[in-house]
Order: sequence, then C-alpha cells, then structure tokens
Amino acid sequence: MAEESFLADDFLRQLMSVGEVDLLVGIPSHNHASTLLQALHCVEETLRQNFVRERAVILNVDGGSTDDTRKLFIESSERRDVAHKGLTSLRTIHRISVEYDRSPSQGLALHHIVAAADLLRARACAVVSPGTTNLTSNWVANLLRPVYREGLDFVAPLYARSRFQGLLARDLLYPMSRAVFGQRIRELYSDEWGFSGRLATQCLEKEVWQEETMRARPEAWMAITAIGGGLKCGQYFLGPKPASPAGTSPDLVDAIRQTVGNLFWCMEINEPQWLNRSSSQPVPTFGPDHELSSDGVPASPEKIFDLFRSGVNELEPILASILAPETHAQIKAIALSDRLKFHFAAELWVKTLYEFAASYHHSVLNRDHLVQALVPLYRGRLYSFLLEHANSSPEVMETRSEMVCQEFERQKPYLVERWTTKH
Amino acid sequence: MKELVIQGLRQAYDNLVHMFAEFLPRLLVMLVIIVVGLFVAYFLKTILRALLHVTRLDRLSEEAGASRFLRMAALPSMTELLSRSLFWVTWSGFILIGISVLGVAGLQEQISRLFLLLPAIFVAILILFLGLVTANFLSRAALLAAVNAGYPAPKLLSWSIRFVIWALAISMALEQVGVARQTVIAAFSIVFGAFMFGLAIAFGLGGRELAREFLERNLGDKKKEKYEEPQPL
Repeated sequence: MAEESFLADDFLRQLMSVGEVDLLVGIPSHNHASTLLQALHCVEETLRQNFVRERAVILNVDGGSTDDTRKLFIESSERRDVAHKGLTSLRTIHRISVEYDRSPSQGLALHHIVAAADLLRARACAVVSPGTTNLTSNWVANLLRPVYREGLDFVAPLYARSRFQGLLARDLLYPMSRAVFGQRIRELYSDEWGFSGRLATQCLEKEVWQEETMRARPEAWMAITAIGGGLKCGQYFLGPKPASPAGTSPDLVDAIRQTVGNLFWCMEINEPQWLNRSSSQPVPTFGPDHELSSDGVPASPEKIFDLFRSGVNELEPILASILAPETHAQIKAIALSDRLKFHFAAELWVKTLYEFAASYHHSVLNRDHLVQALVPLYRGRLYSFLLEHANSSPEVMETRSEMVCQEFERQKPYLVERWTTKH
Repeated sequence: MKELVIQGLRQAYDNLVHMFAEFLPRLLVMLVIIVVGLFVAYFLKTILRALLHVTRLDRLSEEAGASRFLRMAALPSMTELLSRSLFWVTWSGFILIGISVLGVAGLQEQISRLFLLLPAIFVAILILFLGLVTANFLSRAALLAAVNAGYPAPKLLSWSIRFVIWALAISMALEQVGVARQTVIAAFSIVFGAFMFGLAIAFGLGGRELAREFLERNLGDKKKEKYEEPQPL
C-alpha cells in the first residue's frame, strides 16, 4: 500500500474497522457547522432508502475547521426517521472523520477520499459539498446510482441555472474542454460528482497530488483521467444550482485562476490524449442536458466593460507577449469601440483562449500571471454576452452557446498548431 | 675612454641579456598560465551552462520576465550570460595571476587588490540578476492584481515596486564591490526616503480624494462599492 505513508494512523485504524464497503460518500468540510448536519442527513437518507443492502461509509474530510464541524459529525448519531414508512438500510452506515490539514484544500480532501475508496474497495463513490444549500437525498442517489448500477466511472452533475449564472463554465470551461478532450461534459468544475472505485484506484496511482493546481480544483482532472483511461463518463441532471451566499464562493479572479489554470494544466499533462483528437462525442446523460431560467441582467454591466478596456490598455506588454500580433490588434481595436456597440466575437474569443493555452504551454511568462492576464479579456467577453443576450430567451442563448462550442471545435487545429510550434 | 664606453655598453648588454634571461621564462610562465586559464575558464563555462540548462534557468527567467529585459538590452539568454560571466571572471583571474608572475614592481599590490575584487564582482552580478527577476515578478504581480481589482493607476504602483527593488539591488551590488560604500548607503537612504515621502505627499495631499476613495473602498463598507458580476461558476 503505497499510500499508507500519507494517511494518519488513526484514519487507517478507522478504515480498517469498517472493512470493505460498496458505497462511499465523501463530505469535504471547512467551517461548515451550520450546514453539515443537513448534508449528513441527506446522505444517510439516500443510503437508507436507495441502497438498502449495500455496505456504506460516510467519510468527512475536514480542512482544519475552527468551528464545531468535526465535533458535530462525530457526535451526531445515526438518526432514524420514525415517521418514515419505507424501506430502511439493513446494514450499519459507518461514519469516519479525519482532519487532513490545518487549511482547506479540495485536492488533499479528494486524495484522502480516493485513498479510502481504494482501501475499502468501494464500488461507487460520491463527493458532496455541505455548502450546497439545496442538497437533497435525490442528488446523492443520482450521483451514486449511474456508477453503481449502470457501470459508469465518472458522473458529473447537471444543473438548472439562471440565464447569467455560471457563464465562465458555459462560455469557456465547457466549450474548451469539450473541444480539447472530445467529451461533452458540461460541469467539469462542480462541488458534487460521482466516481467508481476503479477510477479512484487509477487516480491514486498518479503522481500529481502535490501539484499546486490540484489544491483547489481536482475534480476536472479526475474526469479527464477517466476520459484518458477509456473509462465511461456521464452526467446526471440534479436540479437548480443555488447561488452561493455572498463571500463563500471564489470571486472572478480566483475562479479563473483555479479553473482555467487547472484546465490549461490538464491540457499540458494529458497532451498525447488530445492532440490528435478531433470533434466531440456526447456522453450518457440522465435527464435534460441543460435548463436555463429567465432572470434580469446583472446591475452595472458598464463597470465590467470599463475593467476590460483598462485591462487591455494597462496590460498591453503582457498581452503582447501572450497573443499573436493580429489577435492582440483585434482586441485593442474592440476595446476602443463604442460601449453600446461593443461585440467580442466568438471567433476572436476562441482564438484568444487557444493562444493563451499555447503560451501557458510554452511558459512565455509565469503561468499564474498568464492566467490572471485573461481576466480582463474574459470581462470583455462577459460584457459582450450580457449586451447580446439582455433580452434573449433561454432557447436562443442555448443555441448561441452551442455555436460557440462548435467554433472551439472548428478552430482546434489552430490550437494544435500554436501548441506544437513555439512562436 | 673608448674602453670605458665599450665596457659600459657591454655592461648594458649584459644587463639586458640578464634581464631578458630572467624575464623570458616569466613571460613564458605568464603565457602558460593564461592559456591554462583559458582552458579552465572554458571548461567551467561549459559545466555551468550544462547545469543551468538542466535546472531550466532560461525558462524561469522567461517566466519571471527577466529575459525580455535582456533581449531589450541586446544581451544573450540568462544561461549564456551567467556562463560567459563565469568564463571572463575565471580567465581574468588567471590573467592577473599571470601578470603578477612577471614581478613588475608596483603592479603586484594593484593586482592582488583587483584579484580580491573578482568574487565580489561575480556576487554583485548575481545580486543584480536576482534583483531584476524579483523586481519584474513582483511588479507584474502587483500590476495584474491592481488591474483585475480595478484600482486606479496600476502602472504607477507597478513601477514604484520595480523602482524600489532595483534601487535596493543596485545599492547592494555596489556595496558588495565596495564602491563608495558610505555614499551608496546615503544615496539609497535619500532616494528611498524621498520616494516614500513623495508618495505620501502625492497620495495624502495631492490625491486627497483618491486616498479617501481608496481607503473607503478597502476599509469601508464593501457592499456599497461592489458592482454586480454574475457568479462565474
């Protein structure tokens, strides 16, 4: 057991006392005392009602909570709802808690979860976040079931979103990852997902766990590892994605550093997997593959445009070292255009992103700085999107999103050319 | 008289022959030392260049932005620059040793002083290099953070950081080689102090409104100032 060294003795003792299991649900936490019990209740409910005969363990991996998160988890006894008349679990649902570090890291948390899944020979696993305020037992069941019963190895969630929510995922992460890795998984970066024990074992063998880009966002890497290993991926519609309470979700700069930085890094380490792949394939999808609800345009989008314009101006030497001269000239030209007639075309957006990815690969400057330099350009694209779709219906928006995805796929040879040639 | 002249000439000739007889082996030794030094310096340069290639210094230098400055100054890559510096420092050392072998009076002391200075010059070059890399990295980090947070005058902040680090690195390098030590320290203190004082006056008096806005934005009620950006994920 190569991984014994990084697991604490107490954690190993707890795992050994559990023995083998069929299902494992990981709950990474950090100061989630107010929401942990709700999440725990949902998980228990799922296991009791949907997996009656299966051996199961709930694993809390904590990143140094200073509130009572761990204490609550350890002390809360398995509650049995007396009012419930349906089937209940015939087996004990085990609970384990471990503190992996003094500071939170999704990467370290996942490392502990996959190590536990491997040791306990779990067949199906799910990771759920206690920060998701509308987590229901259905969500957990829908992440576990396709793995346990349908034989999938990675299950991404699908959410119903409001029109302008999750635009980074919809306008950058999904279309780019789809074009590059060839699988149409919409939510590579999410707080909930399911995976098989087989994938856990494969992931555990990879020597990437100490990488900085794995600290905050390891989930996309897991999906890409599954794609690369020829394992089956799918997605399950869970329901509406709740807006994160103010101050709990990363701001735009952090979100781009964590996700886009991670995506570029995944491209780098999986280069042989995607360089010769063209077009994309749909993955098994349970439920609708998207759902948008109508809502208003965010207030003060003009400020977003101002930040784009000043960013293009102030970061000119940095952008010049990243982008091709023609692309840079086009961006400078649109930054001078009238605010109300502003348009950041999909073609230019795709070209820009591919040049950023290639420059990341060639390390033309510090990689974290390079990803940060993308923020003003993303704001430009965001503002253009808000202008264009202020009055669009969800259907029109989805059609346009699909066109953006196709543009990413059409220009992929350009990415390969930039990637393989240092300019 | 004639004999005296001939004797004098003979004496001078003997002296000249004696001098040449003494000098020529020393010249030969000097040339040997210089040639050996050339080989040693070349060998060290090759070793250092290979080591720096292995440690990917050029990539680090490219990432930190130092390479861009070198290119602007029409200088070679960082690996090449450092290995060439080592070559010249080593070979210069051998040349000085060679010259000292000649035993020219008056030169000995100067040569030994120069010789003592060589490692200090190499360390000073290293300090300047690290200063360049650090200044570039930190000023770019500050520029990106300021631009993305929407702060006013991000370039001013970035250049201020670059200037302070450069001033510090140059003073440290000059102090290392012992050039006008007191003057350098005094000059650095004056320049640094004046710069900070100037910033304080510019920000506090000249840009009173800007200062208020800045402090309110960072220490005041953030909700008031925060514009709405759609949730990215």
